[in-house]
Amino acid sequence: MTPELIQYLESIRDSARLERADETGIMSELEAHIQDKVRELTQSGLTEEEALKTCLGEMGGTRLVARQIYEAYSQGSWKQALLTSIPHLLFGLLFLLNWWHYPGWVSIVLMLILATTIYGWWHGKPNWVFSWLGYTLLPVLAVGLSLLYLPKLWSLLALLVYFPMALWWLFRIIVQTNKRDWIFSSLMLLPLPILTGWFLAVSESGKFTHYSLQIVNYFAPWIGLSFIALALTIAAFIRLRQRWLRVALLATSGLMTVTLIVHYTIGKLNTFTFFGLILVMWGVLLVPALLERYLKGGRRIAWRHRNIIAHKSK
Amino acid sequence: MVPRRDLMKGSSNSLLLSLLEQQPMYGYQIVKELEARSQGYFKFKEGTLYPALHRLEKSGLISGKWQKLPNGRQRRYYYITARGLSKLALEKSQWQDFLTAVKLILQPGPSSS
Repeated sequence: MTPELIQYLESIRDSARLERADETGIMSELEAHIQDKVRELTQSGLTEEEALKTCLGEMGGTRLVARQIYEAYSQGSWKQALLTSIPHLLFGLLFLLNWWHYPGWVSIVLMLILATTIYGWWHGKPNWVFSWLGYTLLPVLAVGLSLLYLPKLWSLLALLVYFPMALWWLFRIIVQTNKRDWIFSSLMLLPLPILTGWFLAVSESGKFTHYSLQIVNYFAPWIGLSFIALALTIAAFIRLRQRWLRVALLATSGLMTVTLIVHYTIGKLNTFTFFGLILVMWGVLLVPALLERYLKGGRRIAWRHRNIIAHKSK
Repeated sequence: MVPRRDLMKGSSNSLLLSLLEQQPMYGYQIVKELEARSQGYFKFKEGTLYPALHRLEKSGLISGKWQKLPNGRQRRYYYITARGLSKLALEKSQWQDFLTAVKLILQPGPSSS
């Protein structure tokens, strides 16, 4: 394969963001098509270079082909939509049914989420696994919050160790998820602004007290509903084909949920916190996208560098 | 005027099913067959054929199978399924009704006046 052909196919592969199981077949099919056509064009008298140029022109731009492939494969079934929404539904039900203060139920939900995530992660990382993965970050968040209750100096020291480790772990997970598609990292992190919003609304000066429990009790139906709304958004996300619609859906749903939290907790969250939450929400959407851009840029430079070296050594 | 691309969009499924009804084909063969039979009218960006084929496959109207050629290369042949055949029959009759109606308007006969 010539570097031009490799670059063409790589560019489609990069933008089509397919599951591994589908990727090999589609790329082989495109490659076979190009090889057939190039062979025919060279037999008609064109040079190899001219034939490839003509062929790639007639195949269509990589963006067009990749977008259409993405749209052919992106839509999940209703079963997948349900599977992706289940962790949000479970969390919603914990609060709607007021079971959140039973450690047994909370543990069962967390164990179920952890087991399902591990199963999905080791079985080809299907699209639904990323919304489950988001909730496995909760115990890490809980450990971080519990450090606030240590004596002051110990708390400071523990947080100094905890923060870089937790951030590094989160970074690694986002990088792994971004290998599939940055949009799944956003999907994974989507509950984060909602959880932060509710936590700030019920806790005084960032600490969870007995009074906070009473407030959680009071807000439980609204907390539950915000997770149910998230579940419905995610189901719609899975059923959508167009990428821009998916991104728009994630952005508006996050914005609306954060607005609702601020609206229902009137007096508990001020405008400053509202804008802070909006920033967190935009961060959830933008950080994975920017990270993917950065990592891909690095890979492209490495790829070009390899080609230049290969060309020089000829 | 309706762009040719839009006309193609609305009829691509019927065209692909119709070709595969006659014999199983692989992607490049479909492109050439479509171009030859339409005398060059149906020409499109060839890379976009595969998403269309895969959509049909996901709907269960066709199925694809890899086949190894004597020279060792592999090709994916597409076959029309029973579901695809009944869908094609339905679409053919819809097209026939549509064409008849368009013809009645574009070429009015003496009886219509």
